[in-house]
Amino acid sequence: MRLTLNLKHKGLILVAVPLLFELAFIAILTALLNESERQVYREMHSKNVIYEAGNLTRLFHDCGIAMAGYGLTKSPMFEEKYQDMIQDIPRAFDKMKRLVGDNPEQQASLRHLEDCTSRGLTLLAQAKGSIDEGSGTSGLSAVRNMYGEMKTITSEMGDELKKLTAESREIEKEGPGAQNQVRQLIKFFIVVAVVFNVLLSLWLAYFFTATIVRRLSVLTDNSWRLAKGQVLSPPLSGVDEIAHLDGVFHDMADALAEASRKERAVIENAVDVICSIDENGKFLKVSPASTNLWGLAPDELIGRNYLELIAPADLTKVEEAARAIRNGQSDTAFETTTTRQDGASVTVLWSVHWSEIEKSMFCVAHDISERKKAEEALRASEARVRTIIENMLVGLIIVDSAGNVETVNPRTEEMFGWSKDQLLGRNLMFLFPELDRSEPEKFMQTLMQKAKGRIAELEVLRKNGETFPIELSLTEFQSSEGRRLMANILDVSERREIERLKREFVSTVSHELRTPLTSIRGSLTLMSVGALGALNEQMKKVVTIAERNTIRLIGLINDILDIEKLQAGKLDMAFDNVDIRSVLERSIESVRAFADQNSVKVEASDLSAFVYADGDRLVQVVVNLLSNAIKFSEKGGSVTVAVEKENDWVTVKVIDRGRGIPAKYKDLIFERFQQVEVSDAKRKGGTGLGLTICKGIIEQHRGFIGVDSEEGQGSTFWFKVPSQAPSAAQETIHS
Amino acid sequence: MKILIIDDEDDIRVIASMSLGLIGGVSVIEAAGGADGVSKALSEKPDVILLDMIMPDMDGADTIAALKEHPETRHIPVIFVTTRSLNSDVERMKQLGAVGVLSKPFDPTLLSSQVRAILDS
Repeated sequence: MRLTLNLKHKGLILVAVPLLFELAFIAILTALLNESERQVYREMHSKNVIYEAGNLTRLFHDCGIAMAGYGLTKSPMFEEKYQDMIQDIPRAFDKMKRLVGDNPEQQASLRHLEDCTSRGLTLLAQAKGSIDEGSGTSGLSAVRNMYGEMKTITSEMGDELKKLTAESREIEKEGPGAQNQVRQLIKFFIVVAVVFNVLLSLWLAYFFTATIVRRLSVLTDNSWRLAKGQVLSPPLSGVDEIAHLDGVFHDMADALAEASRKERAVIENAVDVICSIDENGKFLKVSPASTNLWGLAPDELIGRNYLELIAPADLTKVEEAARAIRNGQSDTAFETTTTRQDGASVTVLWSVHWSEIEKSMFCVAHDISERKKAEEALRASEARVRTIIENMLVGLIIVDSAGNVETVNPRTEEMFGWSKDQLLGRNLMFLFPELDRSEPEKFMQTLMQKAKGRIAELEVLRKNGETFPIELSLTEFQSSEGRRLMANILDVSERREIERLKREFVSTVSHELRTPLTSIRGSLTLMSVGALGALNEQMKKVVTIAERNTIRLIGLINDILDIEKLQAGKLDMAFDNVDIRSVLERSIESVRAFADQNSVKVEASDLSAFVYADGDRLVQVVVNLLSNAIKFSEKGGSVTVAVEKENDWVTVKVIDRGRGIPAKYKDLIFERFQQVEVSDAKRKGGTGLGLTICKGIIEQHRGFIGVDSEEGQGSTFWFKVPSQAPSAAQETIHS
Repeated sequence: MKILIIDDEDDIRVIASMSLGLIGGVSVIEAAGGADGVSKALSEKPDVILLDMIMPDMDGADTIAALKEHPETRHIPVIFVTTRSLNSDVERMKQLGAVGVLSKPFDPTLLSSQVRAILDS
């Protein structure tokens, strides 16, 4: 039961039990005392009854005697006494009546007694009357007559009085004994109560000690142990407040132990050195990381001054910093160079907290050597990048997602004529007159579509109002401030001008060459056909030679012009759905004379396959490949043209059985003026431009061209072109 | 057929004239420049005009524009004979009102037939 009581209950026990005992003791004692009193009262009552009964007897007796005396003497004294008696007797009966109370038996006796007394008094009164009336002896005879009756009455009264006082006499007899008994009982009870009280007190004392004092003592001890960091006593049993408090102490001890363990783990395993330094600068405690950082184990440092680790150049700074920190005047962190055991330098960031209570500094030393190196490298890299940006020939503008200028490089200022300050904060659209500038958002969308991830050619506006062409490329990137766009701008005015001049030059040269060649060729052809009269054989031969070479020269000029157009991406193309069969037919027709001249047979596939192409340009390609094949075939040999269809592609192959092409030339022959043998130009003719032009044409068709060949085994020149027009996406990518 | 050749190059006018003469039934009028050409077109009323593009003073574009302005010469078909042979050039010349474009240098033996082919088309 003790285990489930709380302090309140126990307190209640300590108070209530003695109290109840005392109350019980008092109650019983009171009862006993009341009994004793009752006994005494009963005895007293009995005595009174007996006394009053005796008194009554005496009174009656005295009354008789007085009457007798009066009867004898007629003395007023006796009469007076008689009268007094008569008065006293009712009073005595009243007293008796009060004494007997409600006792029925005594009341009956008393009534009888009263009756007898009344008879007696009547008799006496008669006797007195007789006495008063009669002479001297009559009175005496009256008395003598009354005596016998009086004796009877007196006897009756005596019996009745005996009866009346019988109980009282009994009580009187028993009284002392009973009282004594009660007294003994009281004494006994008092003794028992004292003993019980003592026992109870002892038990309560034990109870108090066992359940409260001893437990409090354990609690006190545990609190002391907790403060000292010692192991606590086993937890107290029970559910009272003391047990609960003890449980709390145990929880606190566990938590402190856990925290201490974690703290130790952190300190033991921290990469940084965690240490404490006293006010004299001596290490008090050092974590194991010191071995790594300074090459010194903790026990090698404890007791030493931390300044021994600081590089001489930083000593003054450190001392001042430490002083300032102790005085609370400064930030709690500073950097210094420290020296390892092996002499190497380590840059350390010290985080310091001064404890006024413990008069020591609590420090964390963090190795920032690598960080410093990285910072230095970063600074150098940034400086490099800044130099590059400052000096690059391409304009650089960085804008936010809305198109507002945040950064420009000097080249941009130079290009546009605006200073950096005039550009910063403005929206990019003010530089682009040809784009929709009604809303910045729309403008940026348009610009992104044109220039993000590709190069767009645009016209932009200088400060002086001139426009000039640029190539613009936008790159999106994320910065700490959010999404940003970097615009790379190349002023292509000069290049455009050069291209324009080149085009003009080419156009002019083309015109200037073609014009006289028109006259030359025309003259020679007219002569060779006899329009100006018949020519002799020799003249015809010479004219034919001149005409042929003029045509060759015209072809060369055309090729050179085509090459230039290809380079500029300006070769004329008129795309349509073209049947490859018709292309082959036209091509073969074009080279038929040449083939016949060289005794080479040309065979072609008559497969019909549609391609999306410029038919004339494909003829140009096939003619070129056929011409080459014929040129490099042996007399009597053959050239085959094959067509293959696969998915969305059509491949044309021109196969010869000529000398083949060494592997190293396979890619080179598509370059300008490249021929497998230097002498080919002389023996076989050709300028070395044909395959370059073919490659350019096929590439403009989004196709591919190549050759499969082995030396001595002949060659297969092939190209493949799409059979369908490109999709809009492909068109966009290509453009 | 009466053909007017407008070209600032004397040699080309001679060659063209001779080329066109290879086939009979053709008479050739020559003009050395745009202004001369317009004047001769008005006076001679040729059946077709062979017009050079690049000429000093009044080039082919201005010449054809002048020809189209005159009611007497507006209907005369004009064929450009030129070193400018880009598709864009051809388109431009057709937009100016030419019915065809022939490239220089031309094959004298084919000039006549080429002119007829353009006129027929």
